[in-house]
Formats: sequence, C-alpha cells, structure tokens
Amino acid sequence: MATSSSNTETSKGSVEVKRVALVGNPNVGKSVLFNALTGAYVTVSNYPGTSVEVTRGNTTIEQQEWQVIDTPGMYSIHTITEEERVAREILLKETPDVVLHVLDARNLERMLAMTIQLIEAELPVVLVVNIMDEAERIGLKIDLELLSQRLGIPVIGAATARKRGIEEIRLAISDYRCDSNNSKRFAYSRLLEHDITEVAGLMQADYVLSRRALALLLLQQDEEISALVQQSEGDRYPIVAEKVREIAFKRRESFHLDLSMERKEIVRKLIKQVFFAPEKRVVTLSERLSTIAVRPLTGVPLLLIVLYFGLYKFVGEFGAGTVVDVLEGKLFEELFNPWITGVVKGLVPWEIIQELIVGEYGIITLGIRYAVGIILPIVATFFIFFSFLEDTGYFPRLALLVDRMFKHIGMSGRAVIPMVLGFGCDTMATMVTRTLETTRERVIATLLLALAIPCSAQLGVILGLLSMAPGALLVWGVCMLLLFILVGLLAAQVMPGEPPMFYMELPPMRMPQFTNVLTKTYTRMQWYFMEILPLFIIASVLLWLGKVTGFFEKLITAMTPVMASIGLPKETAVAFIFGFFRRDYGAAGLYDLQSKGLMDARQLTVAAVTLTLFIPCVAQFLVMKNERGWLTASAIGIFVSLFAYGSGFVLNKFLLLTGLLA
Amino acid sequence: MICGFCGHEFDENDGIKGCGGCSGGCHNVHCPRCNYKNPLEPALVKSIKKLFIKNDKGDKL
Repeated sequence: MATSSSNTETSKGSVEVKRVALVGNPNVGKSVLFNALTGAYVTVSNYPGTSVEVTRGNTTIEQQEWQVIDTPGMYSIHTITEEERVAREILLKETPDVVLHVLDARNLERMLAMTIQLIEAELPVVLVVNIMDEAERIGLKIDLELLSQRLGIPVIGAATARKRGIEEIRLAISDYRCDSNNSKRFAYSRLLEHDITEVAGLMQADYVLSRRALALLLLQQDEEISALVQQSEGDRYPIVAEKVREIAFKRRESFHLDLSMERKEIVRKLIKQVFFAPEKRVVTLSERLSTIAVRPLTGVPLLLIVLYFGLYKFVGEFGAGTVVDVLEGKLFEELFNPWITGVVKGLVPWEIIQELIVGEYGIITLGIRYAVGIILPIVATFFIFFSFLEDTGYFPRLALLVDRMFKHIGMSGRAVIPMVLGFGCDTMATMVTRTLETTRERVIATLLLALAIPCSAQLGVILGLLSMAPGALLVWGVCMLLLFILVGLLAAQVMPGEPPMFYMELPPMRMPQFTNVLTKTYTRMQWYFMEILPLFIIASVLLWLGKVTGFFEKLITAMTPVMASIGLPKETAVAFIFGFFRRDYGAAGLYDLQSKGLMDARQLTVAAVTLTLFIPCVAQFLVMKNERGWLTASAIGIFVSLFAYGSGFVLNKFLLLTGLLA
Repeated sequence: MICGFCGHEFDENDGIKGCGGCSGGCHNVHCPRCNYKNPLEPALVKSIKKLFIKNDKGDKL
C-alpha cells in the first residue's frame, strides 16, 4: 500500500501550497494546459543533477494555492530516457497531491496503458482526455463517464488548445479526494499475479508507489527502483532480489513482452463500449498528405513537385525573374540610378567621392541596387515559400523522409533543421548545428552547409540565372546533389562513429494561415534586410578602396589564370571576390555579368557550381570558428575552396568534352 | 507560440533567446524541444494584433 504522505508546503504567512503534477506522453498538450492553469508567472529550472528542464507555476483554485509542475514527457513509469526518469523522480520525491495524466483522445488505447500504471501505483490520478475536438472531427466517440467508472478516477474531456475543459479540470483538482478503498485493481494473468504477489509480499517498507507497482518495476529490471528498494528494505533486500532473479530466470526475456501484452488486453477490455471508432475510419486530407510526404515512394516525387513549384517557378522565375526585372532593370537601371548619379555629380565636385557613391562599385549604384533591386525580391519570395511550407507542418515530415539517406552520411533526420535553415542563411544554420547529437554529426553538417547548401538569396539568383539557359539548372542541380552525397559519404568514412538516433512525434499537417505566413515573412525579411544592407554598403566601400588603390585590379589579374583554367572570363573574378563578403553578393555579381552577356550557358553553369561550393562568406567562417574551433574551421575553409575549384575544373572539362550546354 | 518545426507549443519566454548569433540583436526564439529558430513577432505586428483584440472586446461589449 502506498503511503499517503502529506506534502503540502507551508510558505510565508502559513499558506498551505498543494502540488499538482502534469504527466503524459510528449505532444499531448501538457504545456498548453500548464499555461492555461498558471498564467504568465512561471519558473523554468534544470531538475537537480540533470539537464532536463522542469517548469513550475502557481494557481489558486477555490482559495487554495497550488503549485503546478509540468513534467517532461513520459511513456511509462518504467523509465528509459532521462526525461522520463525526471518525470518519475518528481512523482516519487515531490509526492504531488494530484497527478493529472494528460493523454491524446485520438490515441486513447495506446496511452491508457500508462493510466493503468499510475492507478496501479496508487497515485492520486485525474485523467484528462485531451484533443477531444480533433477526435470528434475524425468521428471518434468516447464515453467518459463509463471510462471514469471503470478506472475509478475522475475523467475529464478537454481540448486545451481551445480552452475547452479547463474549468472542469480546475474543479477536479480542487475536489480531488484520495480514496484508496475506491482504487481499482486491474487483474493480470494467474501466473503474473503469482509473481507480483511473491515479490510484493517480501517488501515491508513504506513507499510512495504501491508495492504491486514496485514489484512489476523490479521484475522489469528497473535499476533505480532496485536501488530504492535496496535502500528501504535494508537487510531484507537480498531476499527480494533473489526472488526477482529467480522469476526473471524462469521467464527469461519474455517478461516485458508478456506484461505489455497483458496491459494491452486490460486496456482493450476497458475501452469496450467506451471508445467508438467509425467503421470506416475517416482519413482526413491532412493525414493522407502526411502519409504521402513521409513514404519514400511518394515523398520524393512530392518533394520534387514542391521544389519545382516553390523554388523554381515562384522564387526562381517569379522572384528572381519578373520582380527583379522590374525592380533592378526598370526602377534602378533606367530610372533611379541615372537620376541619383546626376544629382550626386551635380552636388559633389570630387570625382573620387562621386565614384564612392554612384560609381561602378558605388554605395548606391552597386550596394543598394544589389540589396534592394536583386536580393530583396528574391529573399521575399523565398521567405514566403519557406514560411508557407513551415506553416503546413511539412518540415518534420521532410526530416523523416531524409532520415535514412542522412544516416549514410553520418547524420540523422534531425540535421534537416540546420539544412533547411541553411537555405535561409548558412551562418545561422551553422550555429544551429550545435543541437545535433554527436560531434561527428555537427562537423559533417557544418562542412555540408559550408559547401553545398546555397543561402536563399544565392539560390534565388542562381535559379533565376540558370533558368534562362535550358539544361543549365538541371546540370547545376544534379552536380550539387551528387557532391552533397559524395562529400557526406566521404566525411562519414573519414570520421567513423555510430549513426545517431532520431525520432520525433509528428505534429498534424495543417492549412497554412495567411496571417502566420505574412508575419513570419515580414519578420524574417525585416531582419535579413537590416543585416545585409550595412554589409553591402561596407563591401561597396572596400571594393571602391580596392579600385582607387589599384589593389582590386591586381587581385583580378592574379585570379585571371585561375578563372581561365575553369573556362571563365576574367570578369568572373569580381563575382568571386564579392562572394567572399557574402555569398548572395557574389551571386548578384554573376547576375550582373550574365545581363551584360559576358557568359555562355556552359560558363554560367560552371561559375554557378563553383560559386555555390566556394568558401563561405566571412560571417559564416567566423561562426564556424566559434562553433567548431580554428582548426576545424580552417580545414573546412581550405577544403571547400580547393573542392570548389576542383569541381569547377572537372565540370568545365566534362561539359567541353561532351558538348553538353554548347 | 507554436514551433514551426516540431509543433511544440511553448511560451515565448520559455524559448531560448539571445544566443548571440544574429547581428543587430536577438529577434528569434529557439524551440525548447527541437531548437528550431522561430522568428519573434515584431513589435509592430504585436501592437496591430492587440488593437484587433481590443476591438473584438469592444464589439462584444
């Protein structure tokens, strides 16, 4: 029998504070319920001795102060992960007055197994069947009253995201009366009951959890529970341990499976006439789409369709084509630049200053034109596309889709987060690689970001540029994909290690909300633009300095043989020098060269591939240094530069030899 | 706010802010569960939304 310890805290002014703990699987709406119960004032702290965060807040129900504890997600009281261990520690050590078990109504059958464990442990449980709105939408019906009778605990139906059921939950917390006589006992098979009785009968100390629950945990070889029982039983422990060993030997490894099957059977009986699913389950469009997105056979074609319409048609053709033509071609080149040049030349008598403001590399005629005329429309269309996809819930499905492929290159599906972010900005994405599980995974992701993931602006310009030359975009795309896989495979070979684990619960796919997409696009664009504008101006000043001192000309002359060796005109060196400041600045430079008719399709493709692979911009290099250290960052920088040149060289020879794109 | 990647719903204050990565100040909040970088709502958008909420309340009254 579990001890019913009085755990009410007495704080200043002798106010008794009771505790309520929220437990349940991840993604069942615990945090939403926590926020609804507590309001704004909460404290987040690491659970002692762990890196797991636990959130606590306070609320008053019927003049009673309650501390609400949002525990980390757990699937069972037989713990596996650190999060689960912390959640159980809270139940064991903080002995809450009420345990709110929150579960997802759509997965009632799967999640009720934990409710049974909590009741079996004689904890003061209130069951919250959450996400009822979604369950009802797909035609599920749950008789909550009958379920409550069968479980012997209060059961509340809720949809916390819609504030449904919150008042009932508050009432259930305040009205909860621990009645151990009323607690239900779920019977297992005769054999298992015999084992439980034998082990439980040997324990004599007082515990927070019932001896029946402890016996089951001991039989599951739970080390922490073994240590707890050893400490509590003292001299009697060897007898308990011997009995557990004896049963474990008899049952061998089948115990876990047997227990799980028996619990399933109990749940099956429990939900009979409680849970009604329509004969033909209503499969919603979002579920159908979700299945299509994660299965390789359908997911890959879907990804290609998304990329074709989203990136190629919308960002490439519309953003980098139509909108840039209007903004850069018409507005800047035909109207604004001639006007501002005239104004500046009229106002400023010194040619050198005129050159700085409105010259070939002038702050306005180059820096601002690039930023506003070329980069802004491309980034805007890219962020609209990105925010739209993000709001549909497609990204986690993409992570699952590529997980298997990523494992071969030493990463897991989790690495999709920095890779996807890399298409926005590689610098930020490099910083996000710190969230990956292993050092090996972090280094490989950093390398691939530096090498083969073009940022949004660069990608947009390249898509816009290459879509004008038939076949060029295909060659560029195939090159980038092959090099991404090749370098990943090589890196995974050079840095051997265990493939990282990755699993995540998929949030539902949803119809993107116009206001969400708009807000996210606006926010991203605002900060992106504020970040690039000063850098573009600084780059223009440096280029102007290079020009007036003659250094820039010398640099271009020095780079001419290198450019020639990969079949590019010497003017391309300018784009590469731009690219070192920022990748998107370099891509805009290529755009300029192409519009002046200086490159054919082959040269354009070679330049695009080389520039995409080329050394990351200064900011990304600095972040690489911060995240991975000087040595790794320098090694990646050197490798990327040589690899970019080598790939350009081979591609140029290949295109010349085959006559492709001629 | 709801994380754009894993769908985890969290309070803006629970997310990880100020990692120092963004030049020009912090304008993102990383999801406490998957660390995805979610953009913070700009003050302008917040005030517009507040305006609408106030109007809604006003209408109901």
